Amino acid sequence: MFEKNLKGLHYGNRLILPFHCIFLKVVINREIITDFSSTSKFLNLVEGTDYTDLYFREYENIKETLSEYESIKMVIVEKNKDVFDFKNHIKLAVYLEEKHKLRIEKTDDDILFIE
Amino acid sequence: MSLLVKLIFIISFISFTPIPNLYALADAQTGNDSLAIDMQTATVHHPLPDPLIVIPFVILLLMIATGPVFYKHFWEHHYPKVAIILGLITVLYYLFVLRDSHSLLHTLTEYLSFIAILSSLFVASGGILIKVNKKATPLLNIGILLFGALISNVIGTTGASMLLIRPYIKVNQDRISAYHIIFFIFIVSNIGGSLTPIGDPPLFLGFLRGVPFFWVIGAVWFIWLPALVLLLLIFYFIDSRNKTQGVESKVYSGKIEFKGLKNLVYLAIILISVFLDPSIFSWVPNLYPLPFGIREIIMFAVVFIAYKLADKEVLKANEFDFEPIKEVAYLFVGIFATMIPALQLISNQARMMGEKLNEGIFYWATGILSAFLDNAPTYLNFLSASMGKYGLDVKNSAHVMQFTYNYGSYLTAISVAAVFFGATTYIGNGPNFMVKAISERAGISMPSFFVYLIKYAVPILLPIFILVWLVFFS
Repeated sequence: MFEKNLKGLHYGNRLILPFHCIFLKVVINREIITDFSSTSKFLNLVEGTDYTDLYFREYENIKETLSEYESIKMVIVEKNKDVFDFKNHIKLAVYLEEKHKLRIEKTDDDILFIE
Repeated sequence: MSLLVKLIFIISFISFTPIPNLYALADAQTGNDSLAIDMQTATVHHPLPDPLIVIPFVILLLMIATGPVFYKHFWEHHYPKVAIILGLITVLYYLFVLRDSHSLLHTLTEYLSFIAILSSLFVASGGILIKVNKKATPLLNIGILLFGALISNVIGTTGASMLLIRPYIKVNQDRISAYHIIFFIFIVSNIGGSLTPIGDPPLFLGFLRGVPFFWVIGAVWFIWLPALVLLLLIFYFIDSRNKTQGVESKVYSGKIEFKGLKNLVYLAIILISVFLDPSIFSWVPNLYPLPFGIREIIMFAVVFIAYKLADKEVLKANEFDFEPIKEVAYLFVGIFATMIPALQLISNQARMMGEKLNEGIFYWATGILSAFLDNAPTYLNFLSASMGKYGLDVKNSAHVMQFTYNYGSYLTAISVAAVFFGATTYIGNGPNFMVKAISERAGISMPSFFVYLIKYAVPILLPIFILVWLVFFS
């Protein structure tokens, strides 16, 4: 699914990702988020029919906090895959573009992102 | 950033506004450099500040230490306001109670110089991408750290840190831990840069005052080398025990690739501009009363040009962002302003106790204060105090040279302490904060201010500092 770049949406502190998955780690600015429980003070996850909403509770508008070259980075596992197998861990970089568009890429070798 | 620019503008404006000053300095017309020198003797011409005005400085240090741990949300959103408000308290005290605008102008000059070199090195090196496709081993890491220590004497600790931190993290991505970053801060961002005046800002200020350029390497290398070897050995011991394995099937080409090498030209321009000071070359125009010189104009121009003309792919790969330099700019505007009275009181105290002070005391005093204050003005204040012991004046470059050759052990103690102890805390030296920020953005959990100090700096650095003291300065 992630071999091609995916598109999503962003509004204020909300990201809409066009898939369901298991989140392992999300990095936004200097915040490293690993708590995805319903009581997490940083992130609230809501699954729609075929998309996932991420609400970043610490921010009013995420776009204002990221520069042109910065992304939100995440480690995820597709829902039907074995979460315990590291080969299934996928690193994504999410870029916020104009007109509420999101560009979701698998991180290439250049991007510095530690799982 | 606009808030910061406004503050600088206000301080500049107020500083140039004629205020009746009973203690006006006779030599205030001599230019930027002299202004910076005068700061060291401001206590002679101006009344000393009330010790209570050190409180904003203490509050700022405490908040820098506790904010990211105990009230992270508030701190992340409001640290610029906190730094500026606390800085303004000191500024207003100096303007309207002490009526001492000169100390403020000196500090503003030093701040702009500090931020110019830091931001230009940050942007120029941020446009260079180094890709090391090798398997991480303790020996390879030692090679990177040693290389960083050496080049920090050529492109400064800031330049070396910005250039190497990303490839260093990348190489270690499958086994990275906080200690990797902390040793990088110890070695590349601080102690490595002890050998030349370009290495670290305090040594550069000493050079501007008259310390010969190559005196530093001759006086410090035999302290630098064992300290560096000890740190590398400790690192090797710790890193060898890190058995975390990467992806075993991963194939390494062994190649090292560079992108954005045109930015080396910008780095060269920055390094050359470092020497463009009226006190070094008389043909360099003096822009007094402006609180900056030709050097700073060139450096800020490099920031603009290097960013505008940078390879976008490299910026994307480096996830280039001004936030780390913005954080340093805001926090240090508060630190520079609030530490004026602290430095003046310390300087005065050191002068009063001059006869009783030996190299060891200067080593520890300079070191401990450099860990928590900015090390550049701390260095100058203790240089001034130590020269005062022998009736020499830091404003006089012939005196500085005389002191360097006749009482060099004092200068060595102050130089070593100012640079080495900068590694003790995140705020001891400018690049420390930047390296921490870049690491966190890469997903690495870094220790808090206190954990860094207690778990890493005290057990690893303090024994080395004590050894240096016992062998060379006790």
